[in-house]
Amino acid sequence: MITFIIRRLLISVVLVFLISLISFFIITLTPGSPYPWGELNPKISQAVKDNYRKQFHLDEPIWNQYWYNMRGLFTGELRSIKDGRPVLERIGERLPATVSLNVCAIAISLSFGLLIGVYSARKSGQWQDTSLSTLCFTFLALPEFWVTYLLIIGLTNWVAIPLTGTVSHGILFPNEGARLLDRLWHLFLPAVMLALGGIAGQSRYVRASMLETLREDYIRTAQAKGLHPDKIFYRHALRNSLRPVITGIGSLLPALIGGAVIIETIFAYPGIGRLGYQAVLERDYPTLVALNFITAVLVLLGNLLADVLYAVVDPRVRLE
Amino acid sequence: MVRFFVYGIPVLLVALLVASFLTVASFSADRKNEITIGSIGEPTKLNPIQSAEASASQVESFLFESLLTYDQDLEIAPQLASSYTLSQTTTVYFRGPTGAFAALSYVKAARDSWAEWGLRDARAEGTRLYLEFDQPGLAASEKIFSLFNPASTLPLTTLRVETGGDARAVFQAFRDAEPDRPIERVWFDYNAAFEITVPGDGLQMVEDLKAFLEARGNTAKVDVVDTRPFLAEPLVDFRLRDDVRWHDGVPFTSKDVVFTYHAIMDETVASPRKPDFDLIQHIETPDPHRVLVTYRKPYSPALNSWMIPLLPAHILEGKPVKWWEDHFNRKPVGTGPFKFGHWKTNESLRLVPNEDYYLGRPWLDGVVFRLLPDPITMRLAFMTRQIDYWGVDPWAVKGIREDPRFTLFSYPSNAYSYVGWNLRNPLFQDLQVRRAFAHAVNVPQMIKYILYGNGVQSTGIFPPHFWFSNPDIKPLPYDPGEAKRLLDEAGWVPGPDGIRVKDGKRLSFTLITNQANEVRKDIATLVQDNLRSIGVEVKVEIYEWAVFITRFINKLEFDATVLGWTTPPDYDAYQVWHSSQSNPEQLNFVGYNNPEVDKLLVQIRQEYDPERIRQLAGEIQRIIYEDQPYLFLFVPNSTTVIWKDSLRICRPDDKGGWIDTPVEVTKAGWAYYMQWFYRPEFADRLPANREVRP
Amino acid sequence: MIRRFFRNRLGVAALLAICGLFAVAVTFAILSYLKVPFPQDPNLTNLERKLLPPNPVNWLGTDNLGRDVFSRILHGSYISLTVGFVAVAVSLMIGVVVGAISGYAGRWVDNILMRVVDAIMCFPSFFLILTAVALLGPSLWNIVVVIGLVSWTGTARLVRAEFLTLRETEYVRAARTLGQRAPAIIFGHILPNAMAPIFVTAVLGIPAAILTEAGLSFLGFGVQPPQATWGNIIADGKTYLLDAWWLILFPGLAITFSTLSFYLAGDALRQAAETRIERK
Repeated sequence: MITFIIRRLLISVVLVFLISLISFFIITLTPGSPYPWGELNPKISQAVKDNYRKQFHLDEPIWNQYWYNMRGLFTGELRSIKDGRPVLERIGERLPATVSLNVCAIAISLSFGLLIGVYSARKSGQWQDTSLSTLCFTFLALPEFWVTYLLIIGLTNWVAIPLTGTVSHGILFPNEGARLLDRLWHLFLPAVMLALGGIAGQSRYVRASMLETLREDYIRTAQAKGLHPDKIFYRHALRNSLRPVITGIGSLLPALIGGAVIIETIFAYPGIGRLGYQAVLERDYPTLVALNFITAVLVLLGNLLADVLYAVVDPRVRLE
Repeated sequence: MVRFFVYGIPVLLVALLVASFLTVASFSADRKNEITIGSIGEPTKLNPIQSAEASASQVESFLFESLLTYDQDLEIAPQLASSYTLSQTTTVYFRGPTGAFAALSYVKAARDSWAEWGLRDARAEGTRLYLEFDQPGLAASEKIFSLFNPASTLPLTTLRVETGGDARAVFQAFRDAEPDRPIERVWFDYNAAFEITVPGDGLQMVEDLKAFLEARGNTAKVDVVDTRPFLAEPLVDFRLRDDVRWHDGVPFTSKDVVFTYHAIMDETVASPRKPDFDLIQHIETPDPHRVLVTYRKPYSPALNSWMIPLLPAHILEGKPVKWWEDHFNRKPVGTGPFKFGHWKTNESLRLVPNEDYYLGRPWLDGVVFRLLPDPITMRLAFMTRQIDYWGVDPWAVKGIREDPRFTLFSYPSNAYSYVGWNLRNPLFQDLQVRRAFAHAVNVPQMIKYILYGNGVQSTGIFPPHFWFSNPDIKPLPYDPGEAKRLLDEAGWVPGPDGIRVKDGKRLSFTLITNQANEVRKDIATLVQDNLRSIGVEVKVEIYEWAVFITRFINKLEFDATVLGWTTPPDYDAYQVWHSSQSNPEQLNFVGYNNPEVDKLLVQIRQEYDPERIRQLAGEIQRIIYEDQPYLFLFVPNSTTVIWKDSLRICRPDDKGGWIDTPVEVTKAGWAYYMQWFYRPEFADRLPANREVRP
Repeated sequence: MIRRFFRNRLGVAALLAICGLFAVAVTFAILSYLKVPFPQDPNLTNLERKLLPPNPVNWLGTDNLGRDVFSRILHGSYISLTVGFVAVAVSLMIGVVVGAISGYAGRWVDNILMRVVDAIMCFPSFFLILTAVALLGPSLWNIVVVIGLVSWTGTARLVRAEFLTLRETEYVRAARTLGQRAPAIIFGHILPNAMAPIFVTAVLGIPAAILTEAGLSFLGFGVQPPQATWGNIIADGKTYLLDAWWLILFPGLAITFSTLSFYLAGDALRQAAETRIERK
C-alpha cells in the first residue's frame, strides 16, 4: 500500500505540472489583456501599455511567462496583475468564507441525503419512495440560478430580510448571539442552494447502497433469526451500507475550496468561485495559474484519498 | 447512535435555520449613522495614480483630494489649492544680441498693443528675448513673432531620441563627449527616451547624435518632433491651502505635489495617468505652499490633469512599488473627509470620518461600500434597506417615480451611445449611405422604449449639457423614405430577396457589440430591425468584452459596432478623432480622417480662452456630426433613487452659516454633497444655527 | 428490460414527455427553417407591445423588445435539445472509445489513459468552459463541443469498468480463442452487452448539458442572441426579473420540465437495467 501511494504521488506530481502547463497555454491564448484600466480609455497611451507589459513580463515568450509564474507560485512571490498583491494572499483571504460555505453545503447534502436515502430504502417501492425520488430529481433538474432567484424574490416579498453577503449591514446587533445567528443565516441560504444537487445525488446513492445491503445473506440470516426489523435495518444494514458513503468523502476534498460562481454572484458571497471568474474575465493570469494549480493538487489528492479509504474500509480491496 | 446521525442532524440543521431566520427577521430598524453604498465591482487598489476604474475612483473620491476639482456645475474649481494663476513665457532666439535688442525695442514701442496681446513684460538677455504673457496660448506669440525680421531670428528644433532604456546615461555621455553643443532644453520620458530642443534646423544634430549612438552600439531612433521657431512655456502657479493635514496628522505641503508628479512619471509605477503629465518640463516649489508647474508647450487640457488625487510623500517616498502594494494600496492615507477604515475583500469596505477635516467633520460615522455583483440582488438590497441608494434600471423608473417612499434623481450622464461604422470598409465610405442609415434608425423610439424616456438624442461627440457643446446642431430626423431615397441615389437598389444590391454586392454587414450590456444588445437588435425595413441585412454578433476589444476593435477588424463613450467634461477629443489615432489599438478605430477636424483638434488643445474653446469645440462637433462617422444615438440619464426618509444634507453656506436641505441633484450628480449627508435620526449633532429648507 | 421499464409508471410518463418534447422540437426546427412565424415570429420585435404580461395574443407575455415569449420558447426548444444531445454525443464518442480501449487493453495502456482521465478531471471544468468559450467564441457549436469535451471522463470510467468485467466473461474468452481480432470483439461482443449502462449515462447526461448551457447563459457565455435558447431567454429576462416575472418563469419551467423528464426516464431505465443484470 505504501508503494502504491508513493507511486501515485509521483505520477500526480508529473500530472500537476502537465495540467498547469496546458491550462496556462489555454489562458494566455485567450484574447484579452490584463490591464488594470478599462480598454478604450482615451487617457492611456501606447507607451503606458508597453511599459506595463514590460513590468509584468507580458512581452516575453510564453515559456518564460510560464516559468515566471511557476517560480513565483513556489516562492510565494507571484502577484496578481490586477491589484499587485500576492496571489496566495488573495486566495487565502477567501478561504474562511469558501470553506465554511462548502462545509455547510456538504453537511446539508450528506445529512439530508442520508435521511432521504434511508427513508426511501425503508419505504422502497411505496409511494413515499416514488415521491421522494421525484423530489430529488426535481432538485437536480432545476436550473440553479433560476430557483435561487425565485427563492430570493419570494423571501423578499414575503418578509423584507437581508440575504446577501456574510453579515447584515447597517444594523445594530442586540447581542453576540444575534450576530452569530445572523452569520449563520447568511451562510445557510447559499449553502442550501448549493446543496440541492448534492442531496439528490447522495440520497440516490444511499438508497441504492441500502437496497443492495438489504439483499445480502447476513441480513436474511438476521431476519430469519427473528430480530426486530428496526434493529436489522439500522444496526446491520445501515452501518454496512454507509461504507461507500464514507469513502466518498475523499472525493469531497476538492469541493471544500471549490467555487460556485453563480450562487456566489447572486448572494454576493466572497468565495473563491468569484475570484476565479473575475480572473478569467480580467485575464489575471497569475491568479488563474495559482487557482488551477491548487485545484489540480486537491483533485489528485482527493482521488488518492478515496482509493486509500476504499481499501481501508473494505478489506476485500487491495491496492497494487 | 446511527439513528441519531440519520434523523438528529437534519433536525438540528433545520432548527438552526429557523432560529437564524427568526433572529434576522426580528432585527429592529435601529440603524447605524452610516451610509451604505452598493457597488457592482470592487476596487483593485486604492491608489489613484495606479488605478483607473470607476469602482476605485468612487472610493478614492472620499479619501483623497486633488489640487483642482469639478464644482457642482462641472466647472474647474480649486480644492487643495487655494488659488491658481496661469501665465506663459515665450522665448525667441536670435542670431546675435543686436537682433534681440532690436526686437525688444520694437516690442516696447508697440506698448499700445500689449493689452490686446496679453503681454505683461518683455526683456532681452544675450541672444534671447523673453515675453511674459498673462495667459498661455500661441496666437499672441505667433503674432509678435511675425513682426520680427525673419533673418535675425534663430529657429528651434526639438528632437526625440528613443534609446529604449538608459536615456539619462546616454544623454549624459553625449553631453560629456560634446560639452559645447548648445542644448536649450532637455526632458526625459521615463528612461526610455529623451527630447532635446536645439537652435537651428537640427539636421546636423540628428546626424551627429546618430553617429554618436551608433559608435556606442545603440540603435536608437532620432526624430524631429517639433519645429516651432520659439519656445512657448506655460506656467501654472498653485497656492496651496495651509490648513490641510494627512489622515495621520502630517501637514500637506508642496512636497506631496512634487512627489505625486514624480511617482506618476516613474516607469516602475506604470501609471495609466502618465500621458497627462508628459508635457510638464519641470515642477518647482519655492515654498511649502506654492507649486510652479512649467509646461513644454501650450496644452490647455493639462489643467484638468491636476484633478489627480495627491499621494502622501512622507509615507511613500523612496519606497518600491511592491511596498506600496503591501502597505499602502489597501490602507491608503489621504486628506479627504473620510479616512480608510477596514476592507473585507470582495464583501465590504468601510471608511470612517476624518475628525480633523479642514472643512469640518462629516456628519456620518461611516461610509460603507458593499460589493453586490448581481444587479437583481443590488435592487433587492436597496428595497430591504441594506444599501442606501440604487442606480435605477431604466424600465423600473416609472414605478419608482410614482412611489411616495422614494426620492428619484435623474440627470444627463457624461456619456453617449453610438453605432460606429468602420470607414475602411468601402460600404461605409459613402457619406450618403451613412446618412441613409442615420435616417433609417428610429432613435426617438429607442429612447422611448429602451431608456423609457430617460435620455436625449445625441447631437454629436459632446453631450448637450457640457458647456462647450454646440446647441445649434439638429439631430437627423427619423425618415425611412429619405433613407431609401439616399440609398437609391447611391446606387443601392432592391434585389430579388428584398436586400439592396449594387454591382452584384448585397448591402449586408455584421454589427458587433459586447455582452453583459442589455442596452447595447437591444440597440443592436433594433438597428437590425430598422435597417431590414429599408432593405439592409444586418447580422448581429455579441462577444465577451475582452474578446470584443482585442480581437475586433483593437485590430480594426469589424464592419460596425455598437459602443458608448463615457467622457469627463473635457473638450479634448484628439485621441478619438484625430486621423493619427486610427492605427490598431488606438481609439479612432472607425478610421475617421478629416484634415479640417485634425487641424481644429490640435488648435483647441493650445487654446485657453473659454470663448474660443467654445467656438472651436462647437465647430469640431458640427463637422463630425455632418460626416456621420458614427450614428450618434443618445445621451442616457443617470438615475438614482434613495429612500425619502433616509438622508438629508446639512452643508455650510458662503456666509459661515449652515443650510439644511433634502438631498438634491446638481450638474455633478446627486452625491456631490456626500460629505454633508446626515441621517435624520441623528440630527441632534447638527449645528443649531442652520437654515432648514423643507 | 423493456417490459420491466414499462412497468414503471413514472418512467413511462417521463418517456412520453420526452417524446412530446421531441415532437415539438422537430416541428419548430422545421418551422424555423422555413421561417414560418407560428405562433408568432420569435425574433420579431414590437416595441409598442413590450413587457406585456400574459394576454390572449401573447400567451406567455412579451419580452423587453416585444417579442412573443411563447414563440421564443417553442422555437428555442430544438436548440436547447440540440445542446443536450450533441454535447452528450461528443462526450459519449470520446468516453466510449477511451473507456473501451482502456478496459479492453488493460495494463499500461489502461494506466496511461486513466491518468489522462484523472488529469482532465483536475481541470476546473467550469473555468475551462469559460476560457474555451472566450477563446473560440460563443457560437452554438463551440459551446456544445466544449461541454462535451469536458464531460466525457465519467463515461470513460464507466465503460472501462464494464469492459474490465465483460472481458473476463466466457463468450469473450471464446471469441478470443477463436482468433477474432480486438475491434471485432470490442464492437461485436463486449460493447453490445455494455450498452445498457452507457445508454443510461447518456440519458442522464442530456439534462446536465442543458443545465450547463443555462448556467453559461446566466454568466453571458451561452449561445448568443438572436438565436433563442431556454437558457438565454432566462438570462436576458433576468434583468427584468422584478418587473416582468413571466420572462423567466416560463422558460425556467420549460427547462425544469424537460430536464426532469430526462432524469426520471434515465432513472427508470437504470433500474430496469439493474434488475436485468441481477436476474442474470
